[in-house]
Amino acid sequence: MLLAYLEKRFGIAGTLFRQYLFFKRSKGWRILRASEHLEKGVCRLKVSVVGIPAFHRVGAFIKPSTRFIQIFGVYASRARLELTTEELQRLLSGREIESNLPDEDGYVVLFHQGSPLGLGLLLKGRLRSQLPKDMRTSPRIHQKGLLSNK
Amino acid sequence: MNRIKASPERVMAELAGRGIRVERSHPDFPELLAAVGLEAPGRLPAHFRGDIHAQALTSCLCGRLLSPPVGGLVLDMCAAPGGKTTHMADLMENQGMLVANEPSQPRQSALSGNLSRLGVLNTVITAYQAQQFPMRQRFDHILADVPCSGEGGIRGEGLYREWAEAPPSLLDLQRKILVRGFDLLTPGGVMLYSTCTYAPEENEAALHHLLTTRDRVDVLPLEPGLPYEPGVTSWNGSRYDQRVQKSVRLYPHRVDSVGFFMAFIRRKSG
Repeated sequence: MLLAYLEKRFGIAGTLFRQYLFFKRSKGWRILRASEHLEKGVCRLKVSVVGIPAFHRVGAFIKPSTRFIQIFGVYASRARLELTTEELQRLLSGREIESNLPDEDGYVVLFHQGSPLGLGLLLKGRLRSQLPKDMRTSPRIHQKGLLSNK
Repeated sequence: MNRIKASPERVMAELAGRGIRVERSHPDFPELLAAVGLEAPGRLPAHFRGDIHAQALTSCLCGRLLSPPVGGLVLDMCAAPGGKTTHMADLMENQGMLVANEPSQPRQSALSGNLSRLGVLNTVITAYQAQQFPMRQRFDHILADVPCSGEGGIRGEGLYREWAEAPPSLLDLQRKILVRGFDLLTPGGVMLYSTCTYAPEENEAALHHLLTTRDRVDVLPLEPGLPYEPGVTSWNGSRYDQRVQKSVRLYPHRVDSVGFFMAFIRRKSG
């Protein structure tokens, strides 16, 4: 289900995750790189936290986590958008931007200066940020001097 | 700099492009950079993306000196908040398995947050009391960066007013963690014991305790690549095993970083 969603929405091939394990939790899924050490002995330890968050449950839907997208979003071939600095600042300040993306409504991988930052949500031609709140509210992030190269 | 997510060239170019002067902080380790005059690195986009993590140079040496192998099995006995853990994950190229142990729930949250931010995919977190880490799993590489009195961080009058000597309970805890760490080593396995304090009671005395209560202990020489002093063999009327001289003391006035003590220990094979 998870890999099918990634492939269908973003064009991220499921084969990319051959070396990874997904762990289902009440609030979503986590991802860990597979290792022989896990089977040989680490599985006998009482583990509190595994890997990093990969997907969250949002109502009936699933949403890839920001950190997951920052790692694997680079492999997206569709539902992706490179933002200008101005567009990123607009999104971070809570406003929407217009989008001509050909994709259906849903999540979009947001890039800035070639790096995936996280997700936006495309609804009827308008895009809103799904980036973490702490990134949206940090004043240094909003200063042009930090978001643009001198 | 976190090479799991960023390339050195990109990080240096981005910081330089924002007027932040960046230079290598250690001649041998390219991922260790000093951003001259930078305040609040945690508010940079590069920090949010997980490209960088702010840490004292001497703290970074722990991972480099332990040298965890790509694909290896590593234990970080007192992992939170995760600076050394994530650095080791970088050195392991995000492969193998790293067990990050932290019994405190609030500190576990900070640890988990840093692992996520820095894209660390080879790590699991356990919550054992370090001195009681279960013996059913042994490790080839162990980092025991134990709780300490933190004298190494005192570089101004303000901090000095808050400092207090380590209570006997802390000394006892440090020794127990060190001994447990040694017992968890596979034959030939290595452990780095570290503190950010100068107190011999917490450093050489702990190492002496290990040397006098366990067989098959090797103390290996360390070369941090920075000015250092050898471990002291006596203090305040106590004399220590001569092998403690192979440990290193790093002082702020010589390395311009947090003071540290490190000892590199191997469990003999056979």
